[in-house]
Amino acid sequence: MNAYKETLPESVSETLGSAGLDDEPALMHLATDLLPNRQFGRQWVVVTEKRLVVVPHDAESDIVVVRMDELAGVRTEEVVGGGCMALDRRRAGPILVPYTQSLIPRFAEVAEGIRRLSKGKALSLPEEVERERCEACRRLLPEKNGICAACIRKWQTLRRLLRYLTAQPWRLASVVILTLVSTALELLPPRITQHIIDDVLTPRSNFDLLVWLVIGLLGVRILFCVASVITEWLSQRLGHRGVQDIRSDLYRKLQFLPLRFYDRRTTGSLISRMSNDSDRLEGFLASDLPLVVSKMLLFVGILGLLLATNWKLALLVLLPIPPIVLGGSRIWKRVMRHWIRWGGRWSRLSSHLSESIGGIRVVKAFAQESRESERFDKRNEDLRAVTVAGERNWFVFFTVTNFLMSWGVFLVWYFGGRQILGGEMTLGALVAFISYLWMLYQPLRWFGELYNILLRAFAGAERIFEVLDSRQETDNSEDAVRMPQMDGRVEFRNVFFGYDRGKPVLKGINLVVKPGEMIGLVGKSGAGKSTLINLICRFYDPDSGRIVVDGLEMREVCLEDLRSRIGMVQQEPFLFDGTIAENIAYGKPTATFGEVIRAATAAEAHEFIVQKPDGYDMKVGEKGGRLSGGEKQRISIARAILHDPRILILDEATSSLDTRTEWKIQKAISRLVKGRTTFAIAHRLSTLRSADRLVVLDDGKVAEVGTHRELMSRQGIFHRLVKSQQETSAVMAVGGGKVET
Amino acid sequence: MDSSYKDGWKPTPIDVTHPQDVDTARIRLFREPAWHLRMTIEGDRSYLTVKIVRAAPLSEPDRYICFLDANDELICMVDDVHEQPQAYQDIIREELARRYLTSRIERVHSIRSEYGVSYWDVATDRGRREFVVKNVGEDARWLDEKRVLILDVDGNRFEVADLGALDKRSRGLVEMVL
Repeated sequence: MNAYKETLPESVSETLGSAGLDDEPALMHLATDLLPNRQFGRQWVVVTEKRLVVVPHDAESDIVVVRMDELAGVRTEEVVGGGCMALDRRRAGPILVPYTQSLIPRFAEVAEGIRRLSKGKALSLPEEVERERCEACRRLLPEKNGICAACIRKWQTLRRLLRYLTAQPWRLASVVILTLVSTALELLPPRITQHIIDDVLTPRSNFDLLVWLVIGLLGVRILFCVASVITEWLSQRLGHRGVQDIRSDLYRKLQFLPLRFYDRRTTGSLISRMSNDSDRLEGFLASDLPLVVSKMLLFVGILGLLLATNWKLALLVLLPIPPIVLGGSRIWKRVMRHWIRWGGRWSRLSSHLSESIGGIRVVKAFAQESRESERFDKRNEDLRAVTVAGERNWFVFFTVTNFLMSWGVFLVWYFGGRQILGGEMTLGALVAFISYLWMLYQPLRWFGELYNILLRAFAGAERIFEVLDSRQETDNSEDAVRMPQMDGRVEFRNVFFGYDRGKPVLKGINLVVKPGEMIGLVGKSGAGKSTLINLICRFYDPDSGRIVVDGLEMREVCLEDLRSRIGMVQQEPFLFDGTIAENIAYGKPTATFGEVIRAATAAEAHEFIVQKPDGYDMKVGEKGGRLSGGEKQRISIARAILHDPRILILDEATSSLDTRTEWKIQKAISRLVKGRTTFAIAHRLSTLRSADRLVVLDDGKVAEVGTHRELMSRQGIFHRLVKSQQETSAVMAVGGGKVET
Repeated sequence: MDSSYKDGWKPTPIDVTHPQDVDTARIRLFREPAWHLRMTIEGDRSYLTVKIVRAAPLSEPDRYICFLDANDELICMVDDVHEQPQAYQDIIREELARRYLTSRIERVHSIRSEYGVSYWDVATDRGRREFVVKNVGEDARWLDEKRVLILDVDGNRFEVADLGALDKRSRGLVEMVL
């Protein structure tokens, strides 16, 4: 079903028909989920090429018809928990169409569609429609385009998961064989005791046989232990190896996925796929799956043996199974709930701990020690309460399931005993029966949970496979044009781009940049400076128009060649947790140490690096946490110098530093930009004085181009920006605030 | 509130120069044309577009009402909506109702929990609605002992104003998942 062409209910079609409004084909027809009085309900919006109809939800209200040429504009407004599309009319008040948060993305597209139609342009809607409900079971999905935990194609997923195990055929085969062997061994002892009771412990004693049977019993035990240790060891290796492969595949995929993929997802959800979901699979493949398989085998084996020994009694034994499974799973659910609650309380306690210890200076400075202690006591008490409740449930779980299991034993004693008295059965058989019984019931209490364990593992697998199946960005690498050399000539030809369709950020950029030229990008925040840079790095492709590098369309150039010729110095440089030398050589791992030092010297970094106790071997800490802002800047400049790009991007490289450091960084940068095509963004306009040309962006378009002096004498947008910045700093200076120029 | 200070000790007044000191008694609100809200500070200035928001929508829904201009800059703040004449109160409440679409849960038909996700079917002051909560631990926020705010997967807001006031079955269902 198309989200923009929902099935019209009959009543709406009738209303439209009786008003004579069904003569034109509808391009969009869809319902809101909120009525004008902001009650939940469906109000239909039907759009054709020439007009727009809002069908009321009840018979009392009038149908609203607006011709496209009557429309003055379409706005969407976001409120708390929803939004509203406002259709401005030329001669009357606007028509307001409210909807909840769920429909905001959809109505943004609808508004854009109506806007296009009212300007006489053709309608274009996104092909990729977000799925909200599971297509199979109509459940609302927990994540847009996410997976429905209830409807995973279980067998397909399982098969795909097992492929990671069948990739190690020998190990898999030995695990299977050993599992069969150890199951058989586990089934033997009751048989032997049956012999002991029936054939040895009789009035005509047979001591020799007893010795042999006991030795046999011991031997079986030992063999069983050995077999299960080996099975466990092998299946752990099998499972962990499988998960290792899955994790590697996933990580590799994540590295090559385009940024667009990351835009639509939070870092947290991706990291959780990497860690939580793969952990879950690890548990499943290494522990749960072998356990399930061996327990199933055991179950089938015991059932077979019981039926073979005494089928009447065996059928009786099956009677308590449903209550054990049902009762077990029901109490298990409660146990789990307490467990989850316990986890929540515990994490609250520990987050309180880390917060108050981490902020101990603030706590002391505001004299809040006792209040923090009281808050801690409260949480500590909460934790105790839930722990005790959890333990109680755990205890209840064991007691109840054991009780239910003992029912089977009662039945066997009674009916089996009668059979013995009647001479139909031996005592040994009865004792064996009872031992099997406990073995049979033991795994049953988890059986209710089994299905959930499987489903959880499948859901994790599906989430991982979803990433693995996404398209990566180097798909066109076969027919891509190689570009070993680059001069650095960049042309924008009527480039349009927006992160969301219908909300263009760049609206027709035209610009030619000569090789080696330094361009300063200027404009208010949101004007499109960073977006322009994202396009130069080809993190995104333009929606329309072209970006041409050295006469070649950027889209066709081999991505690896392109990126290796582009360098970047960011506002907040990102350093990896490694040594300073490793960070400088990140873009060129083959660099000699001499080159690293030369790059650091050119970046004015050598001086401070050698003063560190470990010099170039100093660990910078996570995200470079052990270095100051200015130091990180200079290391990232050294990194860019060593990388030796033809196109250089400077993103606010000199913000928030003291004057002396800034001067040094300016010096380093001026060495770096020499001979390279450079795009520099800076909020402080004075730092762009050395640029060959300044490009002023305004509302996604190039507003002004020229040198600093030219733009100042033109008295346009740039002039205004400079003036307002000077005024702000003047005010700050008078007020005693930080002086910025 | 001053009782917590010891005798003879006076708190330093918090000096506010911004927002502009607007005499809230001189606020005039009117709809002109009928679908457009305007605002005048009598004898001072006029705003062609005005947006009304709550400073603390959850804890103080009727107090600290802020008026913003077309650029979302603060015009002034009314400490208590009841200070305003009835006609203006109506306008303010109407605008606030338009802006805050939180639904109040009045009855719970069912809550199903599956694989950590909960599926709710509830009756609210806006009518019946089904929604999905991804992670009850994170997406439900207790405002006090009895009051809880729940965000569904899309960010729609549902509120249980007083858990004790719900019927017994609904309360049981909510307590089971939260």
